Amino acid sequence: MHTLKSILSGLFLLFSISLIAQKKDAVTDLPYSNKTEISDQVLESLFQSTGKISINLAPGFRLEGNIQNKSYHGDLVISLLIKLENREGALLSITRFKEPNGHLFYSGNLLKLHDAEGLVLTEKDNHYYFIETQQRFLVSE
Amino acid sequence: MKKFSLYIIWNLVVINHMQVFAQAPLLNSYSPAAATIYLDFDGAVVEGTLWNADGKIIAEPSGLSPATITWIHRIISDHFKLFNLNITTERAVYERAPVRQRIHVIITPDGSWYGPVTGVSAIGSFSWGNDTPAWVFIHALSDNPSFIASCATHQIGHTLGLQHQSEYDSYGVMITELSGGETNIFSNEAPLMGIPFYKTADWRDGHPSTGAHYTQSDTARIAGAPNYIGYRKSAGNSGTDETAIKIDRQDPGLLELNSTGNFSYRLFDVNGRLLKQGMLTTGYNRIPASMAAEGVYVLQWLGESSSGFKKIMHD
Repeated sequence: MHTLKSILSGLFLLFSISLIAQKKDAVTDLPYSNKTEISDQVLESLFQSTGKISINLAPGFRLEGNIQNKSYHGDLVISLLIKLENREGALLSITRFKEPNGHLFYSGNLLKLHDAEGLVLTEKDNHYYFIETQQRFLVSE
Repeated sequence: MKKFSLYIIWNLVVINHMQVFAQAPLLNSYSPAAATIYLDFDGAVVEGTLWNADGKIIAEPSGLSPATITWIHRIISDHFKLFNLNITTERAVYERAPVRQRIHVIITPDGSWYGPVTGVSAIGSFSWGNDTPAWVFIHALSDNPSFIASCATHQIGHTLGLQHQSEYDSYGVMITELSGGETNIFSNEAPLMGIPFYKTADWRDGHPSTGAHYTQSDTARIAGAPNYIGYRKSAGNSGTDETAIKIDRQDPGLLELNSTGNFSYRLFDVNGRLLKQGMLTTGYNRIPASMAAEGVYVLQWLGESSSGFKKIMHD
């Protein structure tokens, strides 16, 4: 009986520790299956590109495609829409904000409508991540 | 005579054409607010957004009459009466709004470019700053104004960051992603972020589609980061009357008050979490509320004759 209690307590402790670790590690309040850190220099380089894009966002995360649209929203916001050739025509939509203090902030997503999974760009503690999550948490009907 | 007949027919064609493409009436629910929801009934051309995988989208005008548009605008505005947010049908108002506090909702007959759905939107796009619109497809809603208003409110909720309100069993297994208010079968209420069409729908504190271990307070999420909308200083378009409600007594778990009329009410904590809602009748009322913690609470009331809010300091 004591052994069973000890095993159960141990399992509970392990479960709690893993939950706390997961929470500490979380970069968003969405459940996600994968995350890839992207440097802001790489993100900025997208905005300096014209026409064709061929870039490694991170090791093993390559983008090949074409800038389909570049739009300006007010003085401080620029958006890019990139159609990706190496991801079955998915679209990378990425926006750069210049805050009044000059700080740059990026947001975006990489989606193919009606797919099960999608990627969303998330910032935490001045680090950017593309997280992979169910697309219904990003686009909803 | 023939010429005259042709003249009449030509004029009828022109008048009919003008009616279909008539501009929506210019309506604003709360002009002081910077944060803006633009209900676009006039048709739009969309490009450069995540919806444009197959190129430019040409959305036809809704074809709804000015009276119907006015009615839909009023219903949607009522759902957002609590918030420091303007629901407009004026494009110029949208264009003047801060880019990270605005959304363009296109209300159009046909959504076949996307699929057989009543509407679609990108979650959180209100604060994206890149003018990604949300969609309401009115033929899929049988052109029913009540359904159109509910669907538009639901899509706006998504753009403000809300996930669906879902139902889970006691083991945390999802029963249905879109709650129809099944938790209380005797209730005639459903969450706006569930299936809002057949019952009285409102914002809810509940478990979203992301999982049973998550909680979503719709009102807190709308008002807070990253939207930074906040709440109105006074609610409603009718006259604000802060004397309509007089708090008699407040104890932990109970609020006693006198009301000068029949009002619907909502009680929020300082973070905007909805604690309680219901009806107040003229005279003495008791609101059993979980106000155990010390702090500031807000009681909001809405009625035909007046509306307002009162801050309650609980210590």
